[in-house]
Formats: sequence, C-alpha cells, structure tokens
Amino acid sequence: MKALAQVVGSLSHVPGVVAAMVVGATDGLIVETSPILAGSLGGADTRKHTAALAAYLYSKVTRASDAARLGTPAFMRLEAERGHIFVVGARDVVLVTIVTPDANQGRVRLEMMNAAREKS
Amino acid sequence: MSDPTVAEGWVAAPLTRLKDDARLLSGVLLYPSGRAVGQFGFSNAADVMSICALTSAINASSGELGRQLDGKPFVEMHHAGAERQVFMARASAGAQEFLFVGVFDRESSFGVVEIYFAEFQKALEKLHPQKQVKSAGPSGDFEGELNRSLDALFGPIGDR
Repeated sequence: MKALAQVVGSLSHVPGVVAAMVVGATDGLIVETSPILAGSLGGADTRKHTAALAAYLYSKVTRASDAARLGTPAFMRLEAERGHIFVVGARDVVLVTIVTPDANQGRVRLEMMNAAREKS
Repeated sequence: MSDPTVAEGWVAAPLTRLKDDARLLSGVLLYPSGRAVGQFGFSNAADVMSICALTSAINASSGELGRQLDGKPFVEMHHAGAERQVFMARASAGAQEFLFVGVFDRESSFGVVEIYFAEFQKALEKLHPQKQVKSAGPSGDFEGELNRSLDALFGPIGDR
C-alpha cells in the first residue's frame, strides 16, 4: 500500500490539480494534504472546508447510489464555475482533488482511481 | 426539527443557522457558569438543566486539565459514541465567553460540525450580548441562575 503522503504527492503533480487530499470518510477531517498550488483559487485556504464538505457529499451520493440500486459510486465529479472537485472512495478514506477547469480530467480521474485501488 | 428557544434573542439567528448547517440534533449555548442562553432539540427543562450543569463542570475540569498538561485550557472537545457524537467548544461575543455543546449523528460529521461552528463563532463575535455579565466567574448562585435561564427557555415551572 502506498503511503498517504505519496498518494497526495503524486496526485498533486498531475497537471491541473490545485490540491490533493486524503480525508476521513466518516469524520471529514484531513488525513494528508498537498499544499495548494501557488496562484490558484486565491485568498483563503479552503482545504479544510472542501475536505469536510466533499466527504459529506460523497456519503450522501453513496446513499443515493445505493437507493437507486446502483451499488457503490466509483467516482464523483462536481463541476463548478471555476473548476472541479473530484472524489473517489477508498474504504475508510476518500481522495479529494480540487482541479482547474482546463485540466486533463481523464488523466486526473485515472490517477485517482489507481491511487484508490492501491490504497484499498 | 424544532427552532431554537432562547433566553436572549440576539443568539437566535446564529444558533438556528448552526443547527441547520451542521445538521445538529440538539444543542445548548450557555454561559460558563451554567446559565443557558439558547437551546434546540430539547423539550424538557430537566434535560437542559443536566446538560448545562455537566457542560459547565466538564469545561472547568477540561480547562484545568489543559492548563496542567499544555499550559492553556483546551478549547474544544469531541466524543464519538457508537450512534451519536458530542461536540463541545467555546465561543465569545464581546468580552463574554460562552460554551456550546451539540449532538450529531451520521447525518453530519465532525469535520462539518467544526467548520460551521467556526462560522458560528465568527457570527457571535460580531454580536453583543443584551445583558453583559459583570464577572466571567460563577456568581455563587448556580442553581438560581440555572433556574432563571430555564424559566426563560421553557416558561416558569408551573406552566411547563
């Protein structure tokens, strides 16, 4: 199993990833995080908020997916005006990335799925 | 889920927002002396009385424990039970300190409660208590203060 620091380290080096985090699935607390990419998002550090709310949202999406009898969600992508939030579950943690709008989303997704598989 | 009942009107809006945003099941805002300022999720004055007394005592003992171990009082406490979790922390408005204790379940998370409590703290800092408490320390009339605040929250004993 990859060390958590290695997981966020390699995810944060994917072009377009502003920040990568490993977050507790049930408590929404950051377990490991990369620094925020310089010059991105501007202003306050919102990683703590993003982590807590993304983990919370993922737990609700899991319930919705379950209610629709679709099984466990494989990947969650939230598209916003100025970028995306990607979330992948990996047992007791979730991997969260904040991504720029022009990022190669396919590559970010692939790297996150691989990281989640290795984490599991 | 019921709206907060408050002994001091100025806390109603931030308390309602905290309850809704953090998806808390119940909560009490109180003075460190144990006097309740506002509550939600409780219909029984005796429950609020117990919680105020226990929170006040826990704050005093955890504060002293923090001072002994870390040179300063602990500011936040979290207990994760099997089904429900308890979050306890301090907030201030002006020079007045308050304690908050809230209960949540799997519909929320510790991370979510923490971030919305931080927003609650900021909202409270901008407000001013209607009645300034002269001393941060206990007045010596713990039971009287507690009963007066419970009367304000639930009405006089005969009317409850």
